[in-house]
Amino acid sequence: MTENVSDLVLEGNAAVTLLQELFACDITVARTQCEACGSIEGVGSLRPYAAPMGAVLRCSHCDGILMRAAHTPHGRWLEMKGARYLRFQSSM
Amino acid sequence: MTATETAAQPVRRLEWQLAQVREIVVETYRVKSLLLHVANWRGHLSGQHLDIRLTAEDGYQAQRSYSIASPPEDELLTLTVERVDNGEVSPYLVDDLHVGDQFDLRGPIGGYFVWTAAMGGPLCLIAGGSGVVPLMAMLRHRERRDGHAPALLLCSSRSPEDVIYRAELDAMARRDPNLRVVNTLTRKQPDGWMGRRGRIDKALLAQECFPPEQSPKIFVCGSTPFVEDVSRFLVELGYDPLTIKTERFGPSGGQGP
Amino acid sequence: MTGRLPNESMIAMDETTISRGFRSKRQEQTPKNRLPPGQYVTTDFPVLSAGPTPQIKLGDWTFALQLGGSLLGKWNWAEFEALPQTTIKRDIHCVTKWSKFDTTWQGVTFDDLLKAVGLTEPAAPYIMAHCDGGYTTNVPVADLIGGKGMITTRYEGLPIPPAHGGPARLLVPHLYFWKSAKWIRRVRFMEKDQPGFWESFGYHNYGDPWKEQRYDGD
Repeated sequence: MTENVSDLVLEGNAAVTLLQELFACDITVARTQCEACGSIEGVGSLRPYAAPMGAVLRCSHCDGILMRAAHTPHGRWLEMKGARYLRFQSSM
Repeated sequence: MTATETAAQPVRRLEWQLAQVREIVVETYRVKSLLLHVANWRGHLSGQHLDIRLTAEDGYQAQRSYSIASPPEDELLTLTVERVDNGEVSPYLVDDLHVGDQFDLRGPIGGYFVWTAAMGGPLCLIAGGSGVVPLMAMLRHRERRDGHAPALLLCSSRSPEDVIYRAELDAMARRDPNLRVVNTLTRKQPDGWMGRRGRIDKALLAQECFPPEQSPKIFVCGSTPFVEDVSRFLVELGYDPLTIKTERFGPSGGQGP
Repeated sequence: MTGRLPNESMIAMDETTISRGFRSKRQEQTPKNRLPPGQYVTTDFPVLSAGPTPQIKLGDWTFALQLGGSLLGKWNWAEFEALPQTTIKRDIHCVTKWSKFDTTWQGVTFDDLLKAVGLTEPAAPYIMAHCDGGYTTNVPVADLIGGKGMITTRYEGLPIPPAHGGPARLLVPHLYFWKSAKWIRRVRFMEKDQPGFWESFGYHNYGDPWKEQRYDGD
């Protein structure tokens, strides 16, 4: 069985695009804290999964899900119950 | 905290813009670079990507993401596309597209997987196959800037015919004593090949990468399994996970509705 | 809008650029009566996971059938392999639009699981599948009995690779493939239907490909 490579897609970036469409600031440089294990990291370093169905972003320490995003014909979904916060740094 | 903390910039809502193909460059037997003119391009940083959207005459649409291969200094945007069998979009881009053709694109996207000369080095770039594309944007940017930070590109390809940007990278390395390019061929090696063979493993990384004490900025790009393996090896070798940035190519299976 | 196009439901709301010569390859595929609406046939087997591939040791693997707090049955790998084995060949359909014909699977049918725990009928009308890594999906029991569902351990005669859900995955081929949960460890009977991982996040609760029930709201 081979992995399908029937078009190269930036899987992580498909996930990022799904998220980015919902935020006014660059989401990839925001910091977030994992609800499950407390570790803090940049959203850009979260591990992305499942891009064809939606974005599932997991903690790179404990694999817990921090956020999910999906875009369906009936609307956009965002869930962040695995993240304690999102922190966007100001440029000042 | 990482040395590469960046302020979150407000982004305009991602809007589709018109891209026109100005030039096509053959890189390998199945990889081409498309040089695009995008009238109101706001600029980008090396490592970012963009989305393209193709619309057929019957209204059918397909959307894909591609890393930007050109540095911010270039006037035209370059995408480097590998034709994948059974693909819906890449065969069109590689086989059918002509100079003068058009499609929609939007971006740049992703401020995380970026390198600018201001971030400094040493710079450790690790590529699996066409994962070299965003890393090439970084090297091209590095070359345009003064004070070339020490850099390594470690690139895994299937065979010599699959090595993307080979001539350009050789020339870059010849001109620049601070740049090393190491290729490993995983499936087929030419007669007399004295270079590396086989996949990138922990031993190869230990031999080639700047040691952890030098705190290199590490960018890894390729298929998901490649990226996960290399990241794991690097962490086992003592590199701080916060200094390792990754970008994954994955299966398509459609982009949603 | 940029003029009249035959299939208006596919036009984006903003201005789109028509790309000369681009067409969908997927519509050139085969038997229409075998392919649910909106699908295309692939000979690949794409991997889509909501999380990292769990590395499960067979020595640690168990599978359980539960009702409320009670354990109806639990098997280790050897015990599970000793249950009656069935081989089936089916088409599978992913909600991301690929379909794969004639896939062969071997495992234990849901009917045989019920027999193994001495149930002549299902304990409740719904189940939730629980998997390593935390993935869940809900399925009505009516869609599992009568040979419609199984816990499968072999694909094309070989042990299912981890990336594809091995050592064991749920198989419910007549529903979209996100219901065929990878790395299954537990089936929990439920009196009331409850949505699983994707069903609670944008996707259809039932998922019939022939009715194109992809998303919540379809």
